[in-house]
Amino acid sequence: MKNPTLRALAAVAILGLGASLAACSSGSSGDAADSVRGESDYSGPEVDITFWNGWTGGAAPKLVPKLVAEFNDSHPNITVKSNAMEWADISQKMPLAIKAGKGPDVAVGHGDDVATYAAQGLLLKTDDVVDALGYAATDFPDGLMEAGQFDGSQYGVPWSVTPLGLYINKDVLRTAGLDPETAPTDQKSYLAALDALKAAGIQGEWADGYVFTGTFEFQSLLWQFGGDLFNDDVTEATFNSEAGVEALTWMTDLIENGYSPANVAQDGNINALIGGQTAFNWNGVWQTTNEALQSTDWTAIPVPQIGTEKAVWSSSTHWMFPANKNGDPDKSAAAATFVKWMNDNSADWASTGELPAQNSVREDPALLANYPALAPFLEQLEYAHYETVSPGITSAMAAVTTGVNEAMLGKKSPKDALDDAAKKATALLKQNKAQYGG
Amino acid sequence: MADSSTALVNRTRSRGGTRPRAAAAGRRSVTAYLFLAPFLIIFAVFVLFPAVYGAWISLHVWNPLIDNRPFVGLQNFIDLFTPDSLTFEDFWESMRATGIFVVGSVPLLLAIPLLVATLLNRKIKGGTVFRAVFFAPYVLGVAVISVLWRYLLDPQLGAVNAVLGLLGLPSDTPWTVDVPWAWISLIGITVWWTLGLNTVILLAGLKGINPDLYEAASLDGAGGWQKFTHVTLPGLRPVMTFVVTITLLSSANMFGQSYLITQGAPGTQTRTAIMYIADQGLGQNQMGAATAMSYVLFAILAAVSVLNFRLQRDNTK
Repeated sequence: MKNPTLRALAAVAILGLGASLAACSSGSSGDAADSVRGESDYSGPEVDITFWNGWTGGAAPKLVPKLVAEFNDSHPNITVKSNAMEWADISQKMPLAIKAGKGPDVAVGHGDDVATYAAQGLLLKTDDVVDALGYAATDFPDGLMEAGQFDGSQYGVPWSVTPLGLYINKDVLRTAGLDPETAPTDQKSYLAALDALKAAGIQGEWADGYVFTGTFEFQSLLWQFGGDLFNDDVTEATFNSEAGVEALTWMTDLIENGYSPANVAQDGNINALIGGQTAFNWNGVWQTTNEALQSTDWTAIPVPQIGTEKAVWSSSTHWMFPANKNGDPDKSAAAATFVKWMNDNSADWASTGELPAQNSVREDPALLANYPALAPFLEQLEYAHYETVSPGITSAMAAVTTGVNEAMLGKKSPKDALDDAAKKATALLKQNKAQYGG
Repeated sequence: MADSSTALVNRTRSRGGTRPRAAAAGRRSVTAYLFLAPFLIIFAVFVLFPAVYGAWISLHVWNPLIDNRPFVGLQNFIDLFTPDSLTFEDFWESMRATGIFVVGSVPLLLAIPLLVATLLNRKIKGGTVFRAVFFAPYVLGVAVISVLWRYLLDPQLGAVNAVLGLLGLPSDTPWTVDVPWAWISLIGITVWWTLGLNTVILLAGLKGINPDLYEAASLDGAGGWQKFTHVTLPGLRPVMTFVVTITLLSSANMFGQSYLITQGAPGTQTRTAIMYIADQGLGQNQMGAATAMSYVLFAILAAVSVLNFRLQRDNTK
């Protein structure tokens, strides 16, 4: 290193490296880098922001571009580019894209994904932005803000909710001499209706053991009987409690007592309701937009209260702000403005078979005037339970479905099925804790 | 063909001098390697490298989303052979599912195509039409055939049970939700779907058998069955080895049918090894455990393939 030019170059290189390292460390410890800057109306330089979502079916592929175009027209300094792909593709691509600095600036994810992403350091905190946008927990249904929190910080901003309801084929009720306008609301009236249907040779509720209906019905009943899926800090599965066994036994009894055929396949129940072979189906609000259903005389009501308290399963979706490597704070601030605008203009989201999360939008009488079928679902939100917030929770939830499936197909008694599933789920929770912490 | 015979002639002629032969051989090798290079590169990038990298991954708790990926040595493998571990029961249940499917499907995927190919090999009217008919399902994707059969085989609403009911047979068979019927469905659907491929390969093999051999056998007084066992089967031996191998491997890799038709139910009894490995690696992000399982599956398949080659070796030569 005798050459002075070389020596100078080396010094510059070392200094540069030190400076960039310092920038890195200040970046990761500072407030600015791990949070979204709170700005309800972005006023920075012109930015392009990318938005990923899994809305590839139903009404969304037309509605989303329309909303995005409206937003872009009214916000000259922000251009949103929407990118729709399958949910499964998003969950595979997004984590790696974020780490490479190529992820979206804003995305929509399911309630059971937010904590998983957050625990991996893939999301920006949204506490500041929630304040700046003027959101409070009371702006959304009870418990929904908490569904986007992990480890004491807010990571999600609510977008939509999708509770279960009781779908009814009115013609089938009439065949059994029942008045379709007097809906069953509790265990007694529900059993009375099932008995009347049985007397008319109709199996009133086809009960299955698969995701979308059986698993969600089980969870609703579990909460109705006073139980819960996991303990408070989500370290142990508790769905094999007395309440859980009671809930699952109620479902297997539907088969035992002849209210349901045995061995119902996935989606068999909604198809049977559409085909006029059964009267009731516990299913999600998304079925309100099922085209085949529209050919029948149907209605939906809140799920009856079978247990000791009112409760219903619901999932939710949330806005997330990815922590892209070398992300531009202006972009996430602009994205926050976009999120606020979308929530304020989410009334037509009901056309996709989901309920807008923002109370002010849902409570506007115009919503029910346009989408009257949603009334029973809105009604239930005050006692809806959302997905468990814990990183990696989907693997433990898969164990619940396996347990419900084994009991509904008569492979195990409800108690044995739930005990086995709970043991598995607890072991998986332990693995999650070891890997994700939190 | 012409080229290789010229080469043969060249080689014979140049036996005297070594130098021109070596040069020509070198040139030929270079040309061959050049043509093989694109494949070799793709093989190295997409097969060889992932296989070696997978072995490295299998020695870690490897969650691709988390930076901390501790080295655990052979723990992932030990877990697979330790009855109380998180993966033991599920993994071997899935291996059992794959085993049931292989044992159930492979014999049918050999016998039926052989029968069909023998029939098609006779000079019958409309032979090409039948060949197309048998091959047709194979061009459909797994998603298409799975959705199709899930509708047809639905226990309560499906056409199959409806028809069985009309014939006075039991009309509530749980074709897609309970074992053993789910296995019958999965194997039946797979045989219907893929038998065309084996049929076409075996048919080509049959056409390659010298007709003189049949004539000679006839002159020796051989009947139809004797011709089949003494001329057809030995003549098909090399083709058969190939067909057995690819059928074994593709059956052992079954994933889509279970995933889409039974969702692994009842419980997880029809969840195949590949389905469980995919869930571990891609669903639950346990890449270390998933790659370890892949290696165990690979070892078993390799052993079965070696056994197959041994058994089918021509002992008459």
